[in-house]
Amino acid sequence: MEFGLKKRARHEVKVEVASLETKYPHNVMLYHYPPTEDVHIDEFEELALERLRLLRVLDRASNRNQRLLSDEWKENVSADLTREGLRSYLRLCSAGGSTKHEADIQTRRRDYLSHFILRLAYCRSEDLARWFVAREMELFRYKFAALSSAEVKQFLEANGFEIHPLSEAQKDEVKDGLYESTAGQSVAKIELLDFYKVPFTQVLDLVRGRRCYLKAGFAYVNTHDLVSLVGTKQQDEIEQGLQAAKTMVDDVEADERISRTLKALHNSYTGRDYTVCRDAAIPIESLDQLSKTSMPLCMRMCHEHIRAQHHIKHNGRMQYGLFIKGIGVTLEDSLRFWREEFTKKMDADKFARSYEYNIYHNYGKKGSMVNYTPYSCAKIIKDATGPGDCHGCPYKYMDQGSLKTKLSSYGLSASAVDEVMSFVSRGHYQIACGKYFQITHNSTVEPTIIHPNNYFEESQITMGNRQKRTNGPALPKARIKDIKGHGDRSMLMGEDDDELWRIAETQERIMQSQKDISEAFNDDLDLTQIDY
Amino acid sequence: MQVADQENQAPQQQTTAVHAYNPEVLQDMLPVYYRRLFPHLPFYRWLSYGSSEDAIFSNREISFTLPDDIYIRYLCFDTQAELEKEICSRNPIKIDIGPVMHTKPKNHRSIPGGLTPVQRELVFDIDMTDYDDVRTCCSGAEVCLKCWKFMVLAARVLDVALREDFGFEHIIWIFSGRRGIHCWVCDHQARHLDARGRYAVAEYLNIITYANFSGTNSPRCAMGERPHHSLKRALKIVEPMFEEVILEDQNLFGTPKGVTKLLNMVHDDAARGELESYLQKNLEDGAHSRLIWESFNKYASSMRTSTANAWSRKLKNIVSEVQLGLLYPRLDINVTRGFNHLLKAPFCIHPATGKVCVPFSVSAVAKFDPTTVPTITQLLHEINAFDDKSKSYMEAPEDKSRIKDHKKTSMFKGVVVFEEFLRKLERNQKSASLQF
Repeated sequence: MEFGLKKRARHEVKVEVASLETKYPHNVMLYHYPPTEDVHIDEFEELALERLRLLRVLDRASNRNQRLLSDEWKENVSADLTREGLRSYLRLCSAGGSTKHEADIQTRRRDYLSHFILRLAYCRSEDLARWFVAREMELFRYKFAALSSAEVKQFLEANGFEIHPLSEAQKDEVKDGLYESTAGQSVAKIELLDFYKVPFTQVLDLVRGRRCYLKAGFAYVNTHDLVSLVGTKQQDEIEQGLQAAKTMVDDVEADERISRTLKALHNSYTGRDYTVCRDAAIPIESLDQLSKTSMPLCMRMCHEHIRAQHHIKHNGRMQYGLFIKGIGVTLEDSLRFWREEFTKKMDADKFARSYEYNIYHNYGKKGSMVNYTPYSCAKIIKDATGPGDCHGCPYKYMDQGSLKTKLSSYGLSASAVDEVMSFVSRGHYQIACGKYFQITHNSTVEPTIIHPNNYFEESQITMGNRQKRTNGPALPKARIKDIKGHGDRSMLMGEDDDELWRIAETQERIMQSQKDISEAFNDDLDLTQIDY
Repeated sequence: MQVADQENQAPQQQTTAVHAYNPEVLQDMLPVYYRRLFPHLPFYRWLSYGSSEDAIFSNREISFTLPDDIYIRYLCFDTQAELEKEICSRNPIKIDIGPVMHTKPKNHRSIPGGLTPVQRELVFDIDMTDYDDVRTCCSGAEVCLKCWKFMVLAARVLDVALREDFGFEHIIWIFSGRRGIHCWVCDHQARHLDARGRYAVAEYLNIITYANFSGTNSPRCAMGERPHHSLKRALKIVEPMFEEVILEDQNLFGTPKGVTKLLNMVHDDAARGELESYLQKNLEDGAHSRLIWESFNKYASSMRTSTANAWSRKLKNIVSEVQLGLLYPRLDINVTRGFNHLLKAPFCIHPATGKVCVPFSVSAVAKFDPTTVPTITQLLHEINAFDDKSKSYMEAPEDKSRIKDHKKTSMFKGVVVFEEFLRKLERNQKSASLQF
């Protein structure tokens, strides 16, 4: 990729379109060759921010826990894209993939360039790369889903996938397996569909979900599922691209103008990852109290589990340990907390040998020295739970009966329980969590819960507020910061100011609520009497 | 043929009781074990894969556990002699095998960017403790012949899936020394699967999910409208054993608590209530599992055929789902997913039981008895007894007798299984290299 500064003259545009048509013939492309054209620095920045907004739309959709490409999902994404002024991308993701409209071709160009720009911004850490790849794959699938089967064939030919459908005789040989194991198609449809035989490693997501027939290392895939084949290839392409970008990133960043854009992008994403708590220190003595008032259900369950069992399995330790780190429990306190609990069941020696390392590790003091990020809702919801586990999202893993009992034991009225459960039964776990927040905090606004630490923070703010001004105006809502593009460089500074202002604001509130909590403690119980 | 061999080589079981294992003297016995019994050469032949790939042996991470929980990682060895010398001089309590790295793991501190694993067998770990909710005979670390049947089914189901669905051939099964089993898939493709590939295979084979029921987890296995062929095949393996294992041996539903377990597996609230009252009406508390199961079957099929209801849609396959849910292999999928995971090597001695981690053949898994697997104490007595009888050990030069020492003991059949596996692996490598 070359980063020049040549400014394109207006009158050249038409000529360019002609060549662009051959360069970007189709909505769906594999991002194989890096672009070589010159891009103006302003446009570079604009494209980067535009792509980020596009990917964030998809991120919000996946946080809403809707199935990718379901009607609900599509509706949400298209509304969101429109709101963000990204309607042109919506056209990329709808039928008619090879139109020759100038506007469409320009969008394709923007799509292509911006993807490669973001590779530079997102190759620098595993977490960033993972996020980027996941979003890009969602976008790819969205685009690919709009293709007709003729277009799919055309796409495969154009991109060098040398696969051929099974002949009738070949298909006949494996037909029992195809009938049994091809997901999502009726038997009558399977009779008619073309099937392709590919190594199972090329369609891993079909294998993972047991959605195709598998025999002797080969998967039998029908036309509709070819997206998996192409998707696997695309994901490899992006992952390798990120690796390659990593080696170039130093050269690229020698130019300060570019490095500023790329780094700002990076920061604007990690601004709210709760890795380091900047707000306040939480004494572990207050955890019992806080677990009742300010922790979401998933963390409260972990906390109660530890207090009751004096032990918690690895995934639970990770989930809860990182969470309390994120709310401001110091490493020393954390060590003390775990030690006090665990040593009720084991000797101090065993604790030191088997568990201490893990705690240091979470705080980035041992091993790879990475300061780990607390788990987000998306991760917690996806986590599988096994016997004896207490981690994961309780709205998801608990059966409805015991969840109801649990909620009413926490003091929710029958009607409130039903309200929460109505979201649970439809699979809207985060909305259920938000509802629970609203009820337990007696709040007028139902916050969008995307992260347990954000739940906690919201709770602290709300409680601080309640004490301060009883009938105050609307409660502060966690802002999902959006970046405005269009090459406006002043906004980068504005963003920083905004961030500082927000920190100051939160700090004030937290300190207030800290005071309130400690006052509440003084009223109710004497800390010295707590017997751990 | 392999099965017949194992039959003939029945060990002298009476010695088990006489020579009880004492963990405190393990350190004193290990030098003799490693010097005279550990199959160093086959072990090397395995990990070198006929030197088919560059540095495949020398870049392999090996780790030792020494007394007092001293754990040494990132060891690696250039030759068989070096590995053998190191094992015999350090006498590790446990040897773990990690991935083959892109360079020598012992240089890990000086490599910018750290070590990158380049290949590693696809491994599975099945632990008996994951079966605690379905066994009534033992719990925790204990294991008896009754609960071993869970492992028998697990090995059979997994082995056939790996062979038929994924086309893997070189699979070795190891008894982990106490209560679990390990499986190493050593085909070229399996060794070179990337993280995503491992995840996909693990998820494909991991059909059990758990639903939380008032504090206890209940296994679930959704078969869906049209069950996938792999589930049907698993069911064919599991079903004939269900009565023997769950109803007779474990009598799992024989208590009110056991009946609750069955009820919890019915994943529809209304239907569960109906079934509960039906069972209560027709059977008294503590009825034998067989009766409970019969009633459950009868009720499910009568409900299914009557009218359209949960039993005819959502719970259409409930009987099979319960069978699979209770008996399908319960994998620790993190072990399978991890490229970097270390797993205990075969032929180690389990420090708590003194038993050898012996390979076993899946076709003879039902005859494998974990309770009579030889302990290190027993093995040492066996060589001594043999030596006393023949007096050959004293006279023959040490080198010669050493090669055959394991043949004098009840460890023999484990080594035979391992060598059979190696023979196939090497034959395959030979034919592969001839193709070029």
